Amino acid sequence: MTFEIIVMWVALTFYAAATAMYMFGVTFSKDALTKWALWASAAGLAFQVTSLGIRWARLGHGPYLGFYEVANALVFCVAAFFVIAAARNPRLNAAGVAVMPVAVLLLGGSMLASKSGLPITAKLASYWLFVHVAFANLAFGAFALSFGCAIVYVVRVRSATGKWAKRFEKLPAQDVLENLTVRFVLVGFLFWAMMITTGAIWANEAWGRYWGWDPIETWSLIVWLIYAIYLHVRFALKWRGERLAWFAIVAMLLALFALVGIPLAFNTPHAGIGGYGKDL
Amino acid sequence: MVATTIPQGGASDPKVADWAATHPAIEPVVRAIGLHQAFTSLVFTACILALAVSTALCAWQRTKAALGKANTLRQAAGADKASLTESHALEIACDPALSASEVLSVASGTLGHLGIKTKRRDDVLISKSATWSVWGSPVFHWALLALILTLIVGNLLRSEGLMGVAVGQTKADAADSYGLIHTGPLHDWRRVHRGIRVDAFEPDYQSGGIDRGPTPTVSLLDAAGKVVKTQRVYPNHTLKSGSLTIYPSDYGLSATFSLVSASGAESGRGIMLVDFSDDAAIGTVPIDYLGVSDRAGKPLYRVFVTVPLDRKDGAFVKRVPAQLTARVDATGPDGKSVFVRTMGLGERIALPVGGNLQLDDIGYYARLSVVDDWSIPLLYLSLVAAMVGLTITVVARQQIVSATVIETLDGAKLAVRMRLWRNASSSRSEIESQLTQALNGVETGSTT
Ligand code: HEM
Repeated sequence: MTFEIIVMWVALTFYAAATAMYMFGVTFSKDALTKWALWASAAGLAFQVTSLGIRWARLGHGPYLGFYEVANALVFCVAAFFVIAAARNPRLNAAGVAVMPVAVLLLGGSMLASKSGLPITAKLASYWLFVHVAFANLAFGAFALSFGCAIVYVVRVRSATGKWAKRFEKLPAQDVLENLTVRFVLVGFLFWAMMITTGAIWANEAWGRYWGWDPIETWSLIVWLIYAIYLHVRFALKWRGERLAWFAIVAMLLALFALVGIPLAFNTPHAGIGGYGKDL
Repeated sequence: MVATTIPQGGASDPKVADWAATHPAIEPVVRAIGLHQAFTSLVFTACILALAVSTALCAWQRTKAALGKANTLRQAAGADKASLTESHALEIACDPALSASEVLSVASGTLGHLGIKTKRRDDVLISKSATWSVWGSPVFHWALLALILTLIVGNLLRSEGLMGVAVGQTKADAADSYGLIHTGPLHDWRRVHRGIRVDAFEPDYQSGGIDRGPTPTVSLLDAAGKVVKTQRVYPNHTLKSGSLTIYPSDYGLSATFSLVSASGAESGRGIMLVDFSDDAAIGTVPIDYLGVSDRAGKPLYRVFVTVPLDRKDGAFVKRVPAQLTARVDATGPDGKSVFVRTMGLGERIALPVGGNLQLDDIGYYARLSVVDDWSIPLLYLSLVAAMVGLTITVVARQQIVSATVIETLDGAKLAVRMRLWRNASSSRSEIESQLTQALNGVETGSTT
């Protein structure tokens, strides 16, 4: 196992420890533990960045190719978005209880995939690759945070009284949490739109066709439209509360499916996340 | 969603046929509702139209809302102590030790922490988003509508096809030059006057340290045959000129024949294209055939041409072979073989109509994907406008918060008026609790 991969395992261990600390800290109202959990997440992030940096320098390209790299980049965005948001607004810290498991599962999945480096082929040799994939990662980071806020919102609604209510006292008020969920959805919606737009422009520049109803393209559009519906029910139909939170939760699971499930399930020429060792 | 799980294509498409054979129970339903060609089906077109109509309605509604918000923002700029005293949303009791000016400074600091930057004008604190902030959503929705309409019109006008061109050959950009072509019903071939020539072909072109794959050099010619543009085309390096994009989709081999008399005088030329195939006995399959008729015009046989490939490690080498030969297979109208000959360069076959067929050359051909679409710049413009609108919607705050100190019978109070739209940096409850905490007082209700 190379040094780079060992460092990535260390990152995963820190993320897993952070997840456990959040779960324990939130369940048993141990504030100090959730604070440590944020530090553990930040440490995991530092190790992950180190490992990805070594890989980037070794291969000469960023983490865009193959499941290992792309899932890693997604996790990097999720963890970075979360650590920054929770550091700036400590009351958001408890959302880690929902956000960090996403990071752990995805990074854990990527550790099972082939870790050999793929070369930049003629098809991929374009600056659009960086822009396009970066927007996909940023979008997912934002959606993961909306998911975290929405989960906490639902859990708190369901435990409005009793000792559980006390455990969530330190979180932002429900309406602030709801606004944050919507804000993260809006940010993710913008980045997802940029991902589709840059992908379409790239497809047109590279092949002369901007859209081909490839499963990845179709599902990207489906997810975007689902989030568009979310924003419309929120702003036009004035949905609020638990059902809006559930909407954000389900939408993020669909986004995850579009990102990870589709490239794995379909043999698309555009592997998107790269597929488990699929030939790019 | 459902369509992504079902193979897309015409009934003769092997993937579709396979699927139909393995799913006999649901295939009739799938076929009846057009799910094999879901993205061009009537149902789908109706969905797109419904999306266009609802986007238009939404854009209209967003525009009206933005006008209203812009008006409110303009009026908010004129908020003064008298109007705030008269109508406000919150009254927050203040620590009696604080002067009115100190209350406003504390409130300004607290609001600042919540992302609400206030200005002080006389005795009033005011925070008001810029008027342009309200126009993001209407711009986004109108741009989206423009995008949908451009897509629809673009698809009606667009043509997209695959054209095989041998090295040295020029083909007119016309429907019959294509092997496979999709044209929108409004595409007008009469307005297209140009030719496409392949000048060279490099099977292993490298640049910038990257293997670019099989790369043709393509020239675009105008109606007079003058070269408009020449370049190598490979992935991420298409030939673009006006509405045209040329991309190399595949390649194969070409065999050039001439029709010569016994004395060697040439009376015609033809180029036959062949594709590589791992399943074929000699590694290539013909794309088309040459029809040979008798003097009265009655078809005698069809000439199919293939090129035997070299082999390496048991596999065919997809390159021009070292030995330049072509296999000519003449088949009668009844499908029976008339003769099969393998000929080298310069060899001839006598034709029953007189004259000979002579093999002149074997080289490469490039299968070019040629797209003619005038809507692309408009599409890009709509996309940019949509992204600018969406960025404003996401990033720009839309809020008004104003406050002043009022004297009541219970002492000094901070009167706060607020209008928090979509992108407020905080919520009413947060503003209320943070101000109450900072001013060390007790919130005592509201008048509006
Ligand atoms: C779930 C959404 C998407 C993700 C996560 C994603 C991610 C990626 C990644 C990682 C690559 C580089 C590796 C590869 O080829 O697979 C890539 C390539 C590419 N993407 Fe996307 N993409 C998404 C959607 C789209 C859309 C909607 C389009 C536009 C029509 C698009 C157009 C392209 C093009 C043209 C390439 C170039 C290379 C190729 O596959 O040959 N992508 N994308």
